[in-house]
Amino acid sequence: MAVSLPEGDLQTRLQRYLDGLSNRHGLQESEILDDVVQVVASPGDVPAVLTTARETLGIPHLSFITVVDRQGSFELTYELIDFRGATVRVMTTIEGDEPVIGTVTNVYPTANWHEREAYDMFGVAFAGHPDLRRTYMWQDHFDHHPLLKSFEISTKRTFEGLR
Amino acid sequence: MLSEERRAHHEGALTEPASSRLVSPDIRDEFGLETIDMNMGPQHPAMHGLLRLILELDGETVVRCDPVMGYLHRCQEKIAENRMYPAVIPLTDRLDYFANMHNEHGYVLAVEDLLDVEIPPRAEYIRVLMCELMRLASHIPSIGFLMLELGAFTPILYAFRERERIQAIFEAVTGARMMFHYIRIGGVKADLPPDIPQKIWDYIESLEAHFQRDFVDLIAGNEIFISRTRNVGKMTQEQAVEMGVTGPALRCTGVDFDIRRDYPYSVYPELEFDVITDTAGDVEASYRVRIAECLQSIRLIKQCLEKMPEGEVMGDLGRRLRPEEGHGFGRVESPRGEYAVHIVSDGSDTPYRVHYRDPSFCNMQLLQEIVPGHYLPDIMPIMGLVDPVSGGWDK
Repeated sequence: MAVSLPEGDLQTRLQRYLDGLSNRHGLQESEILDDVVQVVASPGDVPAVLTTARETLGIPHLSFITVVDRQGSFELTYELIDFRGATVRVMTTIEGDEPVIGTVTNVYPTANWHEREAYDMFGVAFAGHPDLRRTYMWQDHFDHHPLLKSFEISTKRTFEGLR
Repeated sequence: MLSEERRAHHEGALTEPASSRLVSPDIRDEFGLETIDMNMGPQHPAMHGLLRLILELDGETVVRCDPVMGYLHRCQEKIAENRMYPAVIPLTDRLDYFANMHNEHGYVLAVEDLLDVEIPPRAEYIRVLMCELMRLASHIPSIGFLMLELGAFTPILYAFRERERIQAIFEAVTGARMMFHYIRIGGVKADLPPDIPQKIWDYIESLEAHFQRDFVDLIAGNEIFISRTRNVGKMTQEQAVEMGVTGPALRCTGVDFDIRRDYPYSVYPELEFDVITDTAGDVEASYRVRIAECLQSIRLIKQCLEKMPEGEVMGDLGRRLRPEEGHGFGRVESPRGEYAVHIVSDGSDTPYRVHYRDPSFCNMQLLQEIVPGHYLPDIMPIMGLVDPVSGGWDK
């Protein structure tokens, strides 16, 4: 069984991705920056946006999920690539200290470990994830999420001295 | 070489998928069969670094494989948030320690995306030259490791002989054998020493002369090699794409994707090379892909040496880097696949957030998918297909 990769000119494809996403979903922002389609969606819409990207637009690959702790809100970036030069970047912001967002493992199975990593490092809960365990840290007796800005490293002063 | 009869034997063997060996849980209950849990690693002589696999075994067949990570976790992303931009480069060397140049290159591309700085063309050529040498120094030992896991000791000696020679070149250029800190924001640390282009050329010629003998003729026709790798770790294109696999492990299933061609960076658009694919999607195919990619790297190195312009190797940067607020992305083709870096800047001299997408981490999800149904000793060749590096998946 062969996977069909997208065909056609890069600019037409970018426009198709942009139209395909903005026609079906109420996006907060959507634009084309060089070879990247960048869209901002509300956190509740993200699983639906990624389902459209995978199933209707046929973008095969989820590259990574980045979480940024903005102290009070969390910014998530889902980077999708179509293997042929185009990138679709879905960004969202979750307000509050206890972020919850729907999982995308049912459309992009590779998101499984990316979401586990995000949960481990930031405590972002992915609702509906089949196996939300920590990836790196201890499974028990460890309540911290090390990449939160509130988690201070013990050598911080050393680094400040060097600056 | 194999006789026709033996070749036909191997071609006929094992054509049914590995999952057909699995006994359904109902039958297991009916006959009172039990599975046992076993830990493989983290301290295992054959394991690639510190990886623990929780295996559920039914006799010698693996029913479930669950990789456990974190034994080498250093939280590189947190350390990077507390350092100035240039000071993160030596840390990235410690990520995937078989692809140090690619790690540096990916990080530096992401910072340059934030800064909008002009890189001198000579520096770009030196970067690509170093990255392709690094790819040779990673692919050749990975073939050696695969053979070592199958019980053949000679190829690893040949592989490390080549790696040592490449490391000697790296030492002459960068001052270090492994942790280079050579690719810098805006260019590279220093120009090549005057005698090095000729030395690299001589080395590449000599490697080309005995590559076929040492890494193809010795291995590819060997009957034990074929019986241990053909149809082992067999996966379909869908499985590979769903699991987010990139690099040789993806290309051996036939998906034609290489970041150097499809998301071009540096001077790759000016160079000629082929993207290697295979159709079988098993361990043997991944070996063939790696062999062919080594030859493409040799081709790229020769072109770099021929086309390299004269000039500066460092762009004009201020002393203290303060990129504007925003996002920076860098993506390179490391020997294991897609290595991407996402940097978030808040306008200060330290990154607000650095995220590494390491191919070892993402490719390893494949183990859960393809190991079940294989025999216990087949796990090691499959690790050779995935080829993860401890420093990479554990960040």
